Amino acid sequence: MSLQLLFDALALGGIYAVAALGIALIFGVMRLVNFAHGQFIASAVFALIVPSTDAMAVLGLGALPAPVLVPLILMIGAGLALVAEALVFRPMRNASPVALMVGSFALGVALQNLLLVLYGGRPKAVSLWAELGQPVQVATASVPLLQLIVIAAVVVILAALALMLRKSRLGLEMRAAAEDFTMARMLGVRSNRVISGAFALSGALAAVVALVLVAQTGVADVRMGGQIMLVAFIATVVGGMGSLSGAVAAGLGIGAASALLQAGLPAEARPFRDAFLYGGVILVLLFRPQGLFAPVGAKPRV
Amino acid sequence: MMAKLGIFDLAVRYGKLTAIAELSFTVAEGERVFISGPNGAGKSSLLSAIAGSVRAAHGRIEMDGDILSGLGPEAIARRGLSMVPEGRRIFAGLTVLENLTVGTGMRRDRSAVADDLETVFTAFPILRERARASAGALSGGQQQMLAIARALMTNPKVMLVDEPSLGLAPKVVDEVYDRLCQLQAVRGLTLVIVEQSSARAARVGGRMLLMRGGRIVADGDATEFAARDLLTEAYFGGAA
Repeated sequence: MSLQLLFDALALGGIYAVAALGIALIFGVMRLVNFAHGQFIASAVFALIVPSTDAMAVLGLGALPAPVLVPLILMIGAGLALVAEALVFRPMRNASPVALMVGSFALGVALQNLLLVLYGGRPKAVSLWAELGQPVQVATASVPLLQLIVIAAVVVILAALALMLRKSRLGLEMRAAAEDFTMARMLGVRSNRVISGAFALSGALAAVVALVLVAQTGVADVRMGGQIMLVAFIATVVGGMGSLSGAVAAGLGIGAASALLQAGLPAEARPFRDAFLYGGVILVLLFRPQGLFAPVGAKPRV
Repeated sequence: MMAKLGIFDLAVRYGKLTAIAELSFTVAEGERVFISGPNGAGKSSLLSAIAGSVRAAHGRIEMDGDILSGLGPEAIARRGLSMVPEGRRIFAGLTVLENLTVGTGMRRDRSAVADDLETVFTAFPILRERARASAGALSGGQQQMLAIARALMTNPKVMLVDEPSLGLAPKVVDEVYDRLCQLQAVRGLTLVIVEQSSARAARVGGRMLLMRGGRIVADGDATEFAARDLLTEAYFGGAA
């Protein structure tokens, strides 16, 4: 395997892992598969540019220097998720998991239409951090600087999240609530705090994915959230619903497999890459229907 | 004197099924009350309703004159009522120490929390030994001790304990009750304990409520129950 391919696999897998984590965090504490997560990502992308229906996007917030822009977009992502939780999911707190899921679909459609109204339906060219496309020589491989930054950022994010879950009070409460929410509440853990915490983290992770997607593809499209949401959701299922490490591992695995198939398949089979990929997913689920890392007590609560 | 805990006309229903029908009793501060009765009598539903994890269909629950009914479980816990639930429900993926720490988030008295940790570690030395171990790796008896210790770490005034003897060897049950009574004496706790075995309740001592069909059918001293036929009546019917 060439070094180049390794970087491709890590960068793509890393992004899938971060997207999957955003879904797994919320599922963990409230057994909600948040199908609006893709639209959180898309919204964070569009937050970078000035609202208009032109094909060439004008950077708004995106023109800010990175040290300001990155925390700002993360906060916007977290804020959007918090508002969504307060307006949509809090009133549905006692609803069934299925009703919650349908609610998240509705929220996703509403967000997507809001973006359509503000920005129009045409994909837009966005030039964010174009200078990061410069190739850098790493041993024998020539790798875009952006890819190295993405890989480093994913490592930092995963480490910070693991540390937060292990060492902080909120992390402890989230882990306890993920295992047995009612029991945690009977020990005085505030459900609003834990759920808001999970949504804020999830929204911030969506913003990370948004930044990387825009920087990598140079396109803002109101439909862009759907594709990555699909992959991320599959990763959480393969990883075992509710298992954070499972979501990360499966996200990395699917991204890496995708990059490897892209490079390894014969040219005439390459258009069917995703068929091979999801065929693999089906195989995994046939042998491990509960996912690779099904955690304790991950069954939907009754 | 005002009752520590007061239950008035409490009813709990699951759909059409009535688990508890019009039930009232009060518990004095520092009292130890056993609740016994056949399966399906509504014992666990009663404790769950008091702790707020099950919503009451109607009726009122008071602690120190404050109305608890209608509050969420976290609000009730924050007022000083703690639950050791049926099946223990320890957090298996967390360490023993983490299990003990979950319930201290609402407390601001850091040094008292440290003292309490020392108290439960002294009462249950095995928990100190296994503090860094995963709670899921503990034996049933150790998990029961952890569940009690975890509830104590919230610094409760009232503690509800649901079937502490379930699935444990008699010797371990003795130990659990020893510690429970000892901690009650030291902390001035008010204890409400679901216990199937009236013989066990009589040995430990305290007041006993007998439940059947969602109602209280007898109320008296646990030691007297063993001598009388009330248990048989509760289990097999007859005039209560």
